Amino acid sequence: MTVRIVTDSSADLPQNLIDQHQITVLPCYVVVDDQTYKDGIEIQADAFYARLQAEGRTPTTSQPTVADFQALYRDLVSQGHQVISIHVSAKLSGTLNSAEQAKASLVDSSQVEIIDSRLASIPLGLAVLDAASILETGAEFHQAADKIRQGLDRHHGLFALDTLEYLHKGGRIGKARAFMGSVLSVKPILRIQDGEAHPVERPRNRDRAIRRLVELAQDLAPVQRLAVIYSTDPERMATLKQDLTGLLPADQIIEARFGSTLGTYIGPDALGVAITQSAS
Amino acid sequence: MVRIPYTYLNLPHRHPQECTHQINSDGLSMDQVRGQDLKKAFSAATSCLEEYRDAINALNVFPVPDGDTGTNMLLTMRSAVRSADSECPDDEEHSAGTVSSALASGAFFGARGNSGVILSQILKGFSDALDGKEYLTANEVEPAFRLAYSSAYRSVGNPVEGTILSVIKGASEALKDIQTEVWSMLGTAYQAAQDALELTPQQLPILKEAGVVDAGGLGVVVLIGGLFQSIAQNGPTQASDLVDLTDLSRFCGTNDGATKTDYLDATVEQEWGFCTQFIISKANEQDLNLSQVRRYFQETALSTVVVGDEQNIRVHIHVEDTGPALSYAESLGSLSEVKIEDMDSQNAEFASNESSETLALALLPVVQGEGLARLFMDSGCPGVIEGGQTMNPSVQQIMGAARRTGAKDVIVLPNNRNIILAADQSAVSDSSIHVIPTKSVPQGVSALLVFNPEAPWQDNVEAMTASLTEVTSMEVAVAIRSTKIDGIEVREGQYVGLLEGKLVVADNTAEQALKSTLILAGLSTDAIVTIYYGIDKNYVDARFVASELESEFPGNQVDIIEGGQPHHQYLASIE
Repeated sequence: MTVRIVTDSSADLPQNLIDQHQITVLPCYVVVDDQTYKDGIEIQADAFYARLQAEGRTPTTSQPTVADFQALYRDLVSQGHQVISIHVSAKLSGTLNSAEQAKASLVDSSQVEIIDSRLASIPLGLAVLDAASILETGAEFHQAADKIRQGLDRHHGLFALDTLEYLHKGGRIGKARAFMGSVLSVKPILRIQDGEAHPVERPRNRDRAIRRLVELAQDLAPVQRLAVIYSTDPERMATLKQDLTGLLPADQIIEARFGSTLGTYIGPDALGVAITQSAS
Repeated sequence: MVRIPYTYLNLPHRHPQECTHQINSDGLSMDQVRGQDLKKAFSAATSCLEEYRDAINALNVFPVPDGDTGTNMLLTMRSAVRSADSECPDDEEHSAGTVSSALASGAFFGARGNSGVILSQILKGFSDALDGKEYLTANEVEPAFRLAYSSAYRSVGNPVEGTILSVIKGASEALKDIQTEVWSMLGTAYQAAQDALELTPQQLPILKEAGVVDAGGLGVVVLIGGLFQSIAQNGPTQASDLVDLTDLSRFCGTNDGATKTDYLDATVEQEWGFCTQFIISKANEQDLNLSQVRRYFQETALSTVVVGDEQNIRVHIHVEDTGPALSYAESLGSLSEVKIEDMDSQNAEFASNESSETLALALLPVVQGEGLARLFMDSGCPGVIEGGQTMNPSVQQIMGAARRTGAKDVIVLPNNRNIILAADQSAVSDSSIHVIPTKSVPQGVSALLVFNPEAPWQDNVEAMTASLTEVTSMEVAVAIRSTKIDGIEVREGQYVGLLEGKLVVADNTAEQALKSTLILAGLSTDAIVTIYYGIDKNYVDARFVASELESEFPGNQVDIIEGGQPHHQYLASIE
């Protein structure tokens, strides 16, 4: 009997890491111009961002359905696996709710542990990788789940957005509302904390935003895992990555891309840094 | 125009100490100034200050409209006198200690601008010296000036000689080891204050270059002169002959036109209290007596408008306590259309109730100009305190606005050199107020952008204060007189550029002055330049400068914002 990890596509994990750790990713749905697509399967990032920026209705997202979770959990349990299912913050999405309902419908629900990461995007991805490491050390199912939960505050996410427009339109502005405002052009920096986006500060342009992301990341040292992420501008992400090599060597920094689920809210020209702090 | 007061005396100036006075056997002077007389003396001194208000306003160093020292000191004194009038009504006996304490507290809350705040501290020192005293006697005069001087010095972070501080110090030091009679000692203080004022251009080179004495210093001289005059008039008759404030016109120089007295009238209307309106209707046989009602309210309220006939009288008044006004009105007839508005809330502009939840931390800037107000409010400030150049809010107004945010803690951005002290004073009285000493609007914006409403106020104060060093502030204004400052020749009507408060260029167009100031400030290759255009400029004017800078200094980002501020054609910053 082995323990398998399940997450959702909002974790923005690169495919090589998904494969390497045998992680199962349930796709979220993204609705563009009345067409529903499975994130990362039926619509890829390049196509999504092109349509996001084109005239048209604002895309929306929806969580994997209860049925999606049921099918997956039944399948894994029937193969003799136990499941640790780690998902996007319940404050940002109903994904966790779908998962809970699916679990409750199982004959033996004790074979599934559901964890609210209180994170989103690649910070959630790092929490999933942390879970994989814990399991790879041979930890027992329930103990592993407890350990994953206890380690959640070590994961951090900082995002520099080009605009808060998409977050606002998508209804996920939350505490970042304080940074709405259009008189000054700013590139707001947000932090994911307690399950939602919080305002940090407002650099005046993208260069300053990268500089501040790096400084804020340095404040979180020492670092165990580090990831950078972009929506549409890989060159700026490369700059950001280069500037972070003081924290970890470049070959250990994970590169990721906001998929269409996150992209719906974070918009084009966004960058991010995710960090797992070393356990003290 | 410099108005010359008290022309009824034109005697040559004599030194008061030349006169001899009776000293009684126990060494005490015979004069004892009662509380009422002290109040009268401060009221008279305030009238003298009113006469000199324009002249004091005109003594500004830079040839641009500034904090209007005369207006600020006058409004502070009026607040002091009003407080004494309400705490110590004329029909009762009051001790000198009670009167001076009421004066000090009125001055404290009404203090505007740096000069007003320092003046309020001078009155605080006076009040400390008279604490518990029935009369002001010769025993108290020296301590009063000494404590006034030390209290004023303490209120200023970096005391500078050649200012109001040196004048009160001069008066205080002259009184050491002198004990004659109150009026005579005041004469000594008055003379010494003038001597100290005369020295201010030697102490502060910028005054010398501008050819003026210190404006706040002149205000203090006028006030001491006014006190001296009033108290001497109650003393030996020949003493009042010695007082001639017309002499002071020698300090007034020729800097006409720097004043903007229309603001004063607007400001007086804006004092705290309640704007109260109602209609009294005849309720019985007895006709209403319009002139009697009008007289009553003129004596007990401000901004009185009483109109009507024997049937109905419409009343508009400003009062601090609406109770007596309404009871009086009710005794005459029936009341209707009663409307009471808190004027504090009229003085600050607030966003319409976006959310009902209480803010833990609010950011409250002082700004002038619609565009700037929009910028701050659009970026999360619940409101702004209207004020800036030539219009400095009082301590009371800052406290009132902070209170009305409803927030647990309030961070105030003064955004002007001349408002920082008043903001600091408001923080002294109210521990929920915290001040970031922003000297300019660009510094305020810099602080705004690192403000994090979710972080504790302490962290914000630290981050916001640190952000001030990352921005260089500039302003462009029209010169209202010709002068030479720091080696720069300025002709009236030209535009001057100020860099961090220092005059650096004068040019024939506001745009050229702005561009030269920005270049002098140093444009590197990746600077962010922000231009806030004033009420009499538009986007195209600012864009013209921006385009030139972008082509001559590639790599710089130039943002243009509608500021809408009066007095400054442009405000600008480099980050």
